[in-house]
Amino acid sequence: MDILLQQILNGLSIASVITLIAVGVTLIFGLTGIINFAHGEFLMVGSIVTWLAVANGISFWLAIILAMIVVAVMGFALERGLFRFTLERPTNGFIVSLGLIIVLQHIVIFFWNANQKSVPRPLNTVWEIGGVRIASVRVMVIFVTAAVVAMTFVAITRSRYGRALRASVEDRDTAALMGIPVRRYITGVFVLGSALAGLGGGLLIALFPITPFTGGTMVMKGFAVALIGGLGNLTGAVVAGLILGIVEGLSAGYGFSEWTDAYSFGLMILVLLFRPNGLFGGTSGPKMA
Amino acid sequence: MKSVLLRGATVALFLGALAYPALAEDAADTIKIGVVAAESGAFVSAGHTLPAGVSLAVKEINDEGGVKVGDKTYKLELLKRDDRTDISTAIAATQELVRDEKVAAIFGSETHDFTLAMAKITQPAKVLHFAGNSTLAKVLTDSSVASGGEDHYLFQTEPQEFQRSGSTARGVLKLLEPLVGHPLKKSVLIVGNDATGQFLSSYYLAALKSEGQEVPDIIFYPPDTTDFSPFLTRAKSLKPDVVHFWYNGDSTLTALPQALELGVAPSYFLFGVDPGIWKEQGLSADVPVAMSCVPVCWGESSNPKAKAYFDAYFAAGAPKGVTSSVSLLYYDYVHFLAEAWEKAGSLDPDKTVEALKTLHHKGVVSDDLAFNATHQVTHATEVCAAAPGGDITCAMQEPPADAPKQ
Repeated sequence: MDILLQQILNGLSIASVITLIAVGVTLIFGLTGIINFAHGEFLMVGSIVTWLAVANGISFWLAIILAMIVVAVMGFALERGLFRFTLERPTNGFIVSLGLIIVLQHIVIFFWNANQKSVPRPLNTVWEIGGVRIASVRVMVIFVTAAVVAMTFVAITRSRYGRALRASVEDRDTAALMGIPVRRYITGVFVLGSALAGLGGGLLIALFPITPFTGGTMVMKGFAVALIGGLGNLTGAVVAGLILGIVEGLSAGYGFSEWTDAYSFGLMILVLLFRPNGLFGGTSGPKMA
Repeated sequence: MKSVLLRGATVALFLGALAYPALAEDAADTIKIGVVAAESGAFVSAGHTLPAGVSLAVKEINDEGGVKVGDKTYKLELLKRDDRTDISTAIAATQELVRDEKVAAIFGSETHDFTLAMAKITQPAKVLHFAGNSTLAKVLTDSSVASGGEDHYLFQTEPQEFQRSGSTARGVLKLLEPLVGHPLKKSVLIVGNDATGQFLSSYYLAALKSEGQEVPDIIFYPPDTTDFSPFLTRAKSLKPDVVHFWYNGDSTLTALPQALELGVAPSYFLFGVDPGIWKEQGLSADVPVAMSCVPVCWGESSNPKAKAYFDAYFAAGAPKGVTSSVSLLYYDYVHFLAEAWEKAGSLDPDKTVEALKTLHHKGVVSDDLAFNATHQVTHATEVCAAAPGGDITCAMQEPPADAPKQ
């Protein structure tokens, strides 16, 4: 029983990191139509910024804020400098993002080499309750993720900005005629998604060492969760993240462990076959003019 | 304009003609050797150690005057090629080194499949080929290495996998048992699920069983895994005495802190993680942790020659890495080859092969390096263990004479 509980807890922990990535993916892909496969590299840059900051004596908590800011600024620059020119042709944006993966990885390798990077754990306590071990750092990641997702949810569903954003997803031209600065909103969503990737990177390096190639694996799962939950649907991203985390945890624990990733992506394929808009329904990305 | 070009071309031809005898003379006094390895891409961690180790040996030989073959003394010229962890690039680089550069010998690659592909080019061209792969037993047979055989010029510079796995398993258990304080009976393997992981773990499993270990499960994880907690929890449910992490050093270093956090076992073994990395990263554990090096460790070693070698290796600019010791699967054999050329009194590849088969070379890895009848080397592997207090002890472990019965 304690092993089963431990596996469920492991699943929650896996889910929290994947969900944080998926929220960024689902916002950017679902609400702006930009297919940014370099989102994982944004996450990796967030980890690198955190690592550099901590190595220079800055506290971990300030370091993750710094990571959010740096990756948000990077996202702003890339959206204004690259992705805005691909809005009418999402396939071009997709190819641009593939190129960005290589460029960002090589910039990091050039300056800081390809070796693993890690930071001292910001929280070291491990609680043991009835044979189940709970690391405080994992609990912290779960709570930060829950808080950030809740704030983003409120911002998207309750605020004036969020309503305008959703309106522009429905019909970009009409929203523009109503006075909504659609292009500026797209930039805003891209910057928010990037900041979340920066935060995810900071949290990730608190849990595990990272390399310049870490982002690739994570973003695949982020896209899987975003598609299972429904593009642009934050509730969907959270629930799908939980499902995927638990599936991963239990399949590694009780199934063919080497098939862990296959279970996750198999689930994604099944969901997309039977519910093309995801479990909770979502956008198909903004409708192009 | 035309006349200026013509004059320029004439002068260039004249200067070229003057320089030719000097170049030809230089070429005649130089033996070209090549190294093909991953200096970029996924295998860079092990790959970059090859050119670094070979370069150091070449420099030492040249600084001592070169290689005396018969009446002539030759300098070595090293040509390095990056295969970018890509088999097609490795093949192209080998073709260029063999056909265009006319190298006498090639060192590499760190990857079994790449070596086999490269050998298809080096062997018909009679180019001596040294590869630090433990897995060439299937191609290096009595008939294939015989004169006229398809791998007559290919040499394996790492012990066979059953030997490496055997000495590693024995050394790990021998070092951990007194630190744990009770007999170690049950082992669980956690292995990366790729071709190398599957292949290596089959040998290590047999080696553990031949040491009397009960092995209830081999847990394979997908490559690039970062969160090992589900796999580790599964291992914990089996109540092992030792958890053995194979084979990727980076993954192992990611998994170990998670295993310690979950309290998976009373002891661990990390394959291919040097105690130097353990110290540099300030790692610590509240239970004993064994580590192994391929073949000798740089961070702590029981081998008296290792310190001098690694001091020179790092002083030459090579980075301190998880697998820096892999360089020793090549460094010793450049010296070995030079000795063979001197003994043969000729650069003729067939005479050199005969010399290589009869020589006993004093290297860093062993005082008695020698190739057997199927061109394979045998030597001990170093295993170290970090006690909970931080003390690290190391021991060279001799390999078993025969492969365990499956």
